[in-house]
Amino acid sequence: MTGPLLSLRNVTKSFPQGGLVDRLLGRETRFVALDDVSLEIARGDVVGIVGESGSGKSTLANLAVGLARPSSGEVLLDGEPLSALMRDHGGPWRRRIQMVFQDSSSALNPRKTIGRCLTETLALRGVPRVERGQEALALLTLVGLGPEMAPRLPHELSGGQRQRVGLARALAMQPDLLIADEPVSSLDVSLQAQVINLLSRLTRELGLTLLFISHDLALVRTLCTRIIVMRKGEIVEQGACLDVLDQPTHPYTKLLIAAVPKGIAGRRSPGQPDAMRAAAATSQTRDEFHGAA
Amino acid sequence: MNRFGPALRAIDWTGWLGAAIVICIVLAAVFAPLIAPYDPIALSVEDRLSAPDAAHWLGTDQAGRDVLSRIIFGARASLAVGIGAVTIGALLGVSAGLFAAYKGGLGEQITMRLVDGIASIPLLVWAIAIVGILGVGPLPVGPLVLPNEFKIVVLVGCLFSPVFARITYAVAKRIVGADYVKARYLQGASHWDIVLGDILPNCLSPIIVQATLLVAIGIVVEASISFVGLGVQPPAPSWGTMLSDARNAIYSGEWWLPVFPGLAISLTVIGFNLLGDAVRDLFDPRSEARTLVA
Amino acid sequence: MSLLSIEGLRVGFRGANGGVIEAVRGVDFAIAPGEAVGIVGESGSGKSLSMLAVMRLLASPARATGGRVIFDGADLLQVGEARMRAVRGRDIAMVFQDPQSSLNPALTIGRQITDVVRAHQQVSAGQARRIAAEALERVGIRDAARRLDAYPHEFSGGMRQRALIAMAIACQPRLLIADEPTTALDVTVQAQIVDLIAELRRDLGIAVIFISHNLQLVSEIVDRVVVMYGGKVVEDGPVEAIELAPRHPYTRLLRACVPSLVGPVGPLVAIEGAPPRLGRMPAGCPFSPRCPRAVEPCASEMPEMVGEASRRVACWRPQ
Repeated sequence: MTGPLLSLRNVTKSFPQGGLVDRLLGRETRFVALDDVSLEIARGDVVGIVGESGSGKSTLANLAVGLARPSSGEVLLDGEPLSALMRDHGGPWRRRIQMVFQDSSSALNPRKTIGRCLTETLALRGVPRVERGQEALALLTLVGLGPEMAPRLPHELSGGQRQRVGLARALAMQPDLLIADEPVSSLDVSLQAQVINLLSRLTRELGLTLLFISHDLALVRTLCTRIIVMRKGEIVEQGACLDVLDQPTHPYTKLLIAAVPKGIAGRRSPGQPDAMRAAAATSQTRDEFHGAA
Repeated sequence: MNRFGPALRAIDWTGWLGAAIVICIVLAAVFAPLIAPYDPIALSVEDRLSAPDAAHWLGTDQAGRDVLSRIIFGARASLAVGIGAVTIGALLGVSAGLFAAYKGGLGEQITMRLVDGIASIPLLVWAIAIVGILGVGPLPVGPLVLPNEFKIVVLVGCLFSPVFARITYAVAKRIVGADYVKARYLQGASHWDIVLGDILPNCLSPIIVQATLLVAIGIVVEASISFVGLGVQPPAPSWGTMLSDARNAIYSGEWWLPVFPGLAISLTVIGFNLLGDAVRDLFDPRSEARTLVA
Repeated sequence: MSLLSIEGLRVGFRGANGGVIEAVRGVDFAIAPGEAVGIVGESGSGKSLSMLAVMRLLASPARATGGRVIFDGADLLQVGEARMRAVRGRDIAMVFQDPQSSLNPALTIGRQITDVVRAHQQVSAGQARRIAAEALERVGIRDAARRLDAYPHEFSGGMRQRALIAMAIACQPRLLIADEPTTALDVTVQAQIVDLIAELRRDLGIAVIFISHNLQLVSEIVDRVVVMYGGKVVEDGPVEAIELAPRHPYTRLLRACVPSLVGPVGPLVAIEGAPPRLGRMPAGCPFSPRCPRAVEPCASEMPEMVGEASRRVACWRPQ
């Protein structure tokens, strides 16, 4: 295979806005969540997508896995259009893209034990019944959890442990492409590092292609080789991760970098706030007014 | 059942009382022929209208039939309608609610508007009207002959279904959006597996609570329909018909004829309501939090 | 002379079997007038609960089970509800994490601010409106007089948080408690809100308690950092000391596990294990099960806070 593993071609996603009356009167307007986005992800890439709320990064993730359909444009998995593949709901293509979710408390069925969650996933991949138990334990080991987790229910686990189980569940399908939508943002800082290090190790050991969606530039810098910066449904800048973060060209990327807390290095000197930020704040406040009006 | 252990201890005495009442009545209905001291239908002219005494604890009616035995046998009709109607209502309503919540789009709209339509029907009035139109005799459906009680069960069940549909829909709609359902979808699990394996089990607690409370209403509906003569047909015993037959007794002083079937209805309804409240407490996330902390 | 002094504060949850599970287990620290203190800790560290206890806003089954909160010479845990209502909003104001749920969606922003003003000051409706407009102006909302008639849904998340801060400062409190005020916001908006709080503190001389899980964020605006873990204060000191020479292993690791935008890229320093669960606190130092430096007494005996008032640490083997 030489082509990209995942590609988006001129993908737009919009949602109807306004109430039923507006729609009936033909006054329907559409909110554009993703505006004519094209990108390619090669096998083995570890790509970070950063942006703020409303940037379209989660919409992009949902389109890429087939949880949503594009309004126009095409999503291709290994050259095959996703729209065609999706006609076969339970088809073998399913296991090739898996997702890790943001909210560790809703990612696992509260009434199923961790072991059951993994074995039923393995069953869908076609693993024979007798091997499922062993393989589930192997998966738990892979994500750094012990076999004692298998009989437990999700509420007996910490947030970080639940996120690892979510990761194990995705890996159980042996995917080519893993999409992680803010996988650590619901975790405490001391647990974030554990999950990030685990993702980093898995991409190296399993040759996984990873699409890591985050608002945290520093995490993306640690984990990813490529970065895509999004704003209001558009890609504003992309490139090699360190290049973009060390020498950003787009003003929005610079703004994002300036907004990252820097500890005492970023202390407000009394009397005059950081000039970069003041400028950023002014433009942003104006945006907010436009957005709200 | 282990994880309910601590929660069971948290149920207060009213819950246990409700459970005790319900269990007693269910046992009475099931083992009626063994428990009842007399034949509930056999006429006995010399014993007619005797007040409660040692031979007939709750007295006898105009035809000399033992009131206690008739109440014990009458529990069968009441529970059959109450539980039967709730079962049918739950099957219809839960399926409709799950379908609407999972399917979304036009199917969701049509299903839920249909549910609204059925829910706008005044329950008791329609039950009476439809039984009145269909007649009180057995209803032949193809090779089967359905007894009148079956009609009532189906009818009340249909009228209960919107309650179940709405509750199921409200809870299921939230669960359909949960990440674990999305994950199952992305694994390519069949829609059937997702709905029955992941969504339904997480909706069950409010459905069970509602079912317990609706059994009580079903019993009242059965009594009401029988009271106006469209339910259980004489001479078969039913609490509603017993009350109906006792109307005139109120004026002639045979107080035991209306009082004991009335008490039976009240007691059963209270029993199911208390049980329903206890079941709700059992499933309440707050009580779960309480036991988790401990 | 300190403005607010918290001494041995304990907060517990009543359990099912009548027992009490302690979530805040003896917290002491004080804040001087005009000072900015950051309380840093992870979820379950007790940082929010202790501040809710100070404001007497704990909801059952949580309640303050011990200690004192001295403000203006009185113990806030003991004063009557009427006195407490006067303190809340006028002397001490609080801003919460989620600006969405902190505002009543059915009332205009102006109405919600003037309600607070008129609850604490004898002013006419017109004066209250003027005070509200000034407060909105103060927090950087342009065209404030017109914005008073807007409803919360017409504001973006950042503007709602600004409106809540306006509500908090409208009565010129002496202390502002901000509980994760930026966690629900985007990073660029977060930077603005942090700027705003720093600016208000400088211009109005308000003392600030800034609660956050993010040490780097807090360090940008506070003078002193109180680090909490497992319902206890583990370290307390000037921000420079906490940042440059942390003494408690937890503080040190907390700094190390957050990646930076500069310097070489490598694996992150991870803290193994998970924060202790409520009701399952270790007998000794709450961090001992995860601590790489843990030694003999750590797991069995809680270390005392040592050091002078301005620089304290609770550790058997401080660094």
